[in-house]
Amino acid sequence: MSGNDRLGRRAAPYLLTMPGMLWLVAFFLAPLVLMVTLSTQTGNLLDGFRQTWHFGIYPQVIWQYQHQFLRSFEYGGAATIIALVVSYPLAYWIAFHGGRRKTTLLFLLILPFFVSFVIRTLAWQFILADDGIVLGALKRWHLLPSGYHALATSTAVISGLAYNFLPFMALPLYVSLERIDRSVVEAAGDLYASGRDVFLRVILPLSLPGVFAGGLLTFVPATGDYVNADVLGGTRNNMVGNAIQREYLEFFHYPAGAAMSTILMVLLLVGIFAYARALGTRSIQEYV
Amino acid sequence: MKDPEPLDVSKLDSIRIDPALWRGLTQRRFSRRDLLKYTGYGAGSAGLAAFLAACGVSGTATKHTTPPVSAVEAFWKKQHKTGTLNFANWPDYIDKDDNGNSPTLLKFTQQTGIKVSYHEVIADNEVFLPKVLPALQAGQDTGYDLMVITNGDPLDELLKPGYLIPLDHSYLKTFEQYANPKIKNPPYDPGNQYTVAWQSGLTGIGWNSKKIKRPITTFFDLFDPAFKGKVGFFENLQDYPNAILVAMGLNPQTSTQDEWKKAADMVLEQFNKGQFRHFYNNNYIDALENGDIWITQAWSGDIQIAQLSVADGGDGYPEMRFVIPKEGGLIWTDNMCIPQHAQHPVDAIMMMDFVYQPQVAAEMTDYIQYISPVPAAQQILQGSDPAVANNHEVFPTTDDLAHWFPYKVFKDNAETEAWKTIFGAVTNQ
Amino acid sequence: MGETDVRLDQVTKRFGDVLAVDDLTLQIDQGEFFSLLGPSGCGKTTTLRMIGGFEDPTAGVIHLGGKDVTNLPPYRRNVNTVFQSYALFPHLDVFENVAFGLRRHHVDRQEIKRRVGESLTLVDMPGLERRKPGQLSGGQQQRVALARALVNEPKLLLLDEPLGALDLKLRKQMQLELKRIQKDVGITFLYVTHDQEEAMTMSNRLAVMRHGKIEQIATPEEVYEHPATEFVAGFLGASNLLEGEVKSRHAGVADVVVEGGSTVTVPDASLNGSESRVKIGVRPEKIRLEEDEGEPPSGWNSVRGVLQIATFVGVSHQYTVDGPAGTTLTVYAQNLGSGANVAPGDRVRLLWRPEHTFVVRPSEPLAEWEEEQ
Repeated sequence: MSGNDRLGRRAAPYLLTMPGMLWLVAFFLAPLVLMVTLSTQTGNLLDGFRQTWHFGIYPQVIWQYQHQFLRSFEYGGAATIIALVVSYPLAYWIAFHGGRRKTTLLFLLILPFFVSFVIRTLAWQFILADDGIVLGALKRWHLLPSGYHALATSTAVISGLAYNFLPFMALPLYVSLERIDRSVVEAAGDLYASGRDVFLRVILPLSLPGVFAGGLLTFVPATGDYVNADVLGGTRNNMVGNAIQREYLEFFHYPAGAAMSTILMVLLLVGIFAYARALGTRSIQEYV
Repeated sequence: MKDPEPLDVSKLDSIRIDPALWRGLTQRRFSRRDLLKYTGYGAGSAGLAAFLAACGVSGTATKHTTPPVSAVEAFWKKQHKTGTLNFANWPDYIDKDDNGNSPTLLKFTQQTGIKVSYHEVIADNEVFLPKVLPALQAGQDTGYDLMVITNGDPLDELLKPGYLIPLDHSYLKTFEQYANPKIKNPPYDPGNQYTVAWQSGLTGIGWNSKKIKRPITTFFDLFDPAFKGKVGFFENLQDYPNAILVAMGLNPQTSTQDEWKKAADMVLEQFNKGQFRHFYNNNYIDALENGDIWITQAWSGDIQIAQLSVADGGDGYPEMRFVIPKEGGLIWTDNMCIPQHAQHPVDAIMMMDFVYQPQVAAEMTDYIQYISPVPAAQQILQGSDPAVANNHEVFPTTDDLAHWFPYKVFKDNAETEAWKTIFGAVTNQ
Repeated sequence: MGETDVRLDQVTKRFGDVLAVDDLTLQIDQGEFFSLLGPSGCGKTTTLRMIGGFEDPTAGVIHLGGKDVTNLPPYRRNVNTVFQSYALFPHLDVFENVAFGLRRHHVDRQEIKRRVGESLTLVDMPGLERRKPGQLSGGQQQRVALARALVNEPKLLLLDEPLGALDLKLRKQMQLELKRIQKDVGITFLYVTHDQEEAMTMSNRLAVMRHGKIEQIATPEEVYEHPATEFVAGFLGASNLLEGEVKSRHAGVADVVVEGGSTVTVPDASLNGSESRVKIGVRPEKIRLEEDEGEPPSGWNSVRGVLQIATFVGVSHQYTVDGPAGTTLTVYAQNLGSGANVAPGDRVRLLWRPEHTFVVRPSEPLAEWEEEQ
């Protein structure tokens, strides 16, 4: 009996992680392997695809879609920075001055995001239309030249990304700010730190885990996004997501689409590792 | 070439139609389709399905070859009417009474004793196909006996790997008798071996008469420098490449790769000048209404909806215009077809034939107002609803049809790939 | 002790409807170890936080070193605080924690190094400069917090229950250490605690607070020997209280007839006024217990009772006696090897010197919410 108990106890961690592991294997690892396999097939929809381990597709799509890859990282990065700059003061204010209204304020912050992602983006397309409710009015009052347009620009796409992924930035920031011990902030003031010093020397460094998590959660989906570019962008704002979508669904170039997805994933992983090295998850762990 | 009369839909204002129907039937070609397309983004469903479909395809696809006539006969000899039919169609693409029942379907049941289970599940070819392809690749029943699929790539995806049951024309007597010869025997399915038309539609030019004070007549009005940055173009590789080839005075069907390159270069030149605002999938109509664009490639139904007043179920933009350019327009067809392993093929083919009865076609066309494949319905409607009967968009003249070209059908995969490479490069920037 | 370092004039603090500090006036001298002692919710921490600048008084004025600082932010006051939770900066190592205040004052690098070293030595924590707070024990964190405050050589050090989180043994050790450090550096310490023993061990003077008001300010001995109120008497150690009526006053003493009819003599000075109904008290260790035989010796106050429980606790005997009019009295007798020859059930009398008698103002009993964990 006791032998069985001991065995059970030793097996427990594995049993507990089993569902998660199976999930990962079934919905992450297996598709990943399939994706890489698919990317090295050759053929077409009619004649079928054969496994040829033809890796030539990789340099080919990189060359063909270099602009889209670059643009994706550029837009994703810009959107992440904007989301950070916009949501930090917001999260800070709610965490430190929200008082009893904290829950309400947080709810208000994420309220727009209960609406479908696509509807929200389409709404911006409508709001910012050339003759729409905003630009149309400004043009009628001659505050803007009649030819001015906000949509179909990289600014529109980046703003859309920043807007759409804002909660992914704001919520981790809020959590990291909220958990800062208020007496630590008081201690800084007590030790002659001015408001600016309190922020720069204590609050900001202590909120870095939130900045790190928020940055990651915003950058990764923003970089892979295609809806914003499609809805808010023009002819020169396509991101790699748009290209992948077309390769898969319109051209039926499954290997090319798979190769591009793989490349995007690898680039993101490399980026994340570099980022983690730079911001240091280890030093973050030390004080949480 | 005699200039065809541009199709000005504003003339259609006088036509008395149930606006809700207009809404429904044409809507399927844009916003709803748009949303469904993006839905895949959230759930990953469409993407995953396509992906799995792609995996399944590898190495197993059957080459599309015409089966011997005897084999077709043998197959159909073994089949019997079962009294059940599972029909997959687009939303609001059939007549309906106030109770939501379709008189056409009721009549079909009355005549044949076949009960129809009618599913409005096709909102987008690209979303629907990944749902049925895996079953077809695995050699299984899709659950549908009859599907309505647009010609071009979507239909080719079913046709070329041999996923459709060849039709036994002995069941299609009504079709043979009443089908419009121009719509019969289409280039994408010679001899109607696998498909017969359900309804057809047009691709032309939509424009805003408030922004553009001169008439639009030619495709090349899209390239007018005065409209720089205010022009919409289709992103899909059917409408824009075929349209420009037609504009160049070519028949897409007989065009050569050199001509494709010339066509693509022409578009690329305009692209580099910043002529285009965006390459649209389906959301161009909103852009046109919002003033983002003044002129664009368009599908006829969308513009009709835009023109109708809000009270009539439209968008309330009477200044919108639709024209088939004088160089010619594009005509596409949604086709009925029977997927392999269908459980009730005889019931399905009987439905295919049934809708070609002029009386049935007239009733349906009076309701949905797309291009009917049955010219005889025109005479019937002449009495009951002359406005529809005289509408070129519903009953085109031979002259009209001479200037409306179907999408290019590819001989082989090399041609498909060349087309995709040449035209895809322009919109993939 | 010399010049005044801290002066609070009629300071009041309200949090909404709650009156946390009620018209409080207080002076602390330069170099003093001063404690604010009281139960939970008495206003002691609020008082400290107002002096530190973390709370603004609703009314009143706060002077530090003769300067009105009522409206100055914490970083403009020459005061440092040791927080109950230590409040060390988790992202900085020990050295940087201690150097934090000096860096804000742009003290020169070498100077910082020297002073941080000195203050870490002062708190007996050398050699751990590169550790992060998370790697230190509670006691070590406490020392770092102390060093971090002292290194700035403030005029006044505020300590908010700094030993509350330590275990008993470490707390005793740190009490002595704090006292030593305070002597070494000569800085005024304002110490907030709910632990009367802690306050008495370390303080030069202490203020016992309740309900936002000061019940008594005095030296620990004075507060213990002559508690001003029933509350103070009860809060600082055990005491025996008896109600009585002043009968006569003469030659610096007063005669009070207590419940049960005995007459006790109390110092007239402790009467503090002319009320006739009073509560008199005596500490348990001041009482001598003996058999109730014959006349009580003259010059002693005496009360009769029946011994209920006798407990031997090593250093002393403890007796619980049913006193007059249903009161329960406690007696501590030092273990001198010759305990009283009494057993439970015996009639006994309790004797004490008149000068050990104190008179208190009556107080409300301690509410449950005032009890500290």
